[in-house]
Amino acid sequence: MNKVITINLNGIAYQLEEDGFEALRAYLDAAARRLEGNPDKAEIIADIEQSIGDKFRTMLAASKTVVVTKEVEDVIAEMGPVEDDAGETGGPASAAGRGPAAGAKGAPESSSAPGGTAGAAKRLYKVRDGAMIGGVCNGIAAFLGIDVTIVRIAFVFMAFMWGTGALLYVLMMIIIPSANTPAEKTAATGIPSTAEEFIRRAKAGYYDGMKTFRDKKAYREWKGQFKREMRQHKRDFKRGIEQNVRQWSQGWRQHWGLQPHSHDTWIAGSFLTLLITIVSVVGLCALLSLLLTGSIFTFSLPAGMPLWMAIILLLLIFQILKWPLKAARYSVYYHGTGGPGYCGHGGFFFGTLWWVAILLIVIWVANHHSVRAHEVLDQLRHESHQFVDSVRDWWDKP
Amino acid sequence: MSVNEKFTAIRKGLLEFLVLKIVSADKVYVADILGQLSGTEFATQEGTLYPLLSKMRREELVDYEWKESEAGPPRKYYQLTDKGREQLRETSEYWQKISGTVKGLGRD
Repeated sequence: MNKVITINLNGIAYQLEEDGFEALRAYLDAAARRLEGNPDKAEIIADIEQSIGDKFRTMLAASKTVVVTKEVEDVIAEMGPVEDDAGETGGPASAAGRGPAAGAKGAPESSSAPGGTAGAAKRLYKVRDGAMIGGVCNGIAAFLGIDVTIVRIAFVFMAFMWGTGALLYVLMMIIIPSANTPAEKTAATGIPSTAEEFIRRAKAGYYDGMKTFRDKKAYREWKGQFKREMRQHKRDFKRGIEQNVRQWSQGWRQHWGLQPHSHDTWIAGSFLTLLITIVSVVGLCALLSLLLTGSIFTFSLPAGMPLWMAIILLLLIFQILKWPLKAARYSVYYHGTGGPGYCGHGGFFFGTLWWVAILLIVIWVANHHSVRAHEVLDQLRHESHQFVDSVRDWWDKP
Repeated sequence: MSVNEKFTAIRKGLLEFLVLKIVSADKVYVADILGQLSGTEFATQEGTLYPLLSKMRREELVDYEWKESEAGPPRKYYQLTDKGREQLRETSEYWQKISGTVKGLGRD
């Protein structure tokens, strides 16, 4: 028994075996890739889809409603690999391999090769389409395959609970490259953009396809099939969410081991948590006011201080304010419970990123207030330029 | 290397000329063109023909119109433009010259 997938080619629905569907998708992906940059790409793909649909139709009859995998493969072989004539870059070498005689041989090759790239190697990029700031969250969400909102919430959370989120964001914005070309966007999401497009169109076509059905019986059958598939999706989705929630709560408990010991510790802990929250909210407001008006609650910045330093300093100050509160809460919860020893928040406080931030501030202050340090830094900059130049020369040399 | 392989590049280059010839005779759709080429040395496939036709349309050598068919959705029927006819005339002349040269040189 094989699973059947319903697709739409130019407004007409066809049912394909799952393997056949994969082969067809791989073929169309390969076609779209080879036509990359061709101004008529969409039209050529539509022509090819229609032609494939015509061929499928000749294979179906009243008693045979599904196109089997073998038939899909035959059709793909008959179509032959798509060659972009406009490019003319193939040259005689590739033409020799793809001549008419090699058509049948070329087809399975073209259908298996993209199969490897279906789970293509993902790379971390900034994805600017639909980004709010720099596309960092978007890129991470695409890379991890999770919803972008979760990543954004995580960043905001980190920014105000531990103060590292904002700094991390800025660093990542500088370090991670942007996905600009279609190929890079593909690598960012791991899904070939054309396959995504194909699936999207197939789904959209579901509804268009419904209108074009003339045979009432086939229409009812197909509608039933569609509804069943949708219900299945819904069930899978729900199950996935439930599983996620269970794992989360389990992981949460294991990680924090927060099991309030008695009534007193519960009250003390809650109170401290409330205080921490208030400090965090004030910090958030201060940061927002700094970003929006350039001054913290009407206190303007000291002259000559850059905005980035003000942000770091602000986060640092609130970090310092929260530190004793957190330490107190931690000791309340673990007082007498024999839980893991206190080792947590010192780690956060003296984390690597904070050292980088402090180092940046020290360098900035030294640069601005000590002539000698300024000279040393200038010298250092000069030398690093020289070093980079020498490396580049070495690299460029054949 | 067989003769067939040696002439791959030449066949590829001549394909546009042959498509011009086929389209010049009558309004045709892609399956007609494939059918007419299928028995010959120039047999080709949709994967090659669609990109070629779209390129020729971009160069304004051919044009198409949608026509209803008895079975299935409407099809694109291709025909030559004035520019396409001019191109066909030039290419035919050039082809005559080439084949004349091939015949005239040396002995068989």
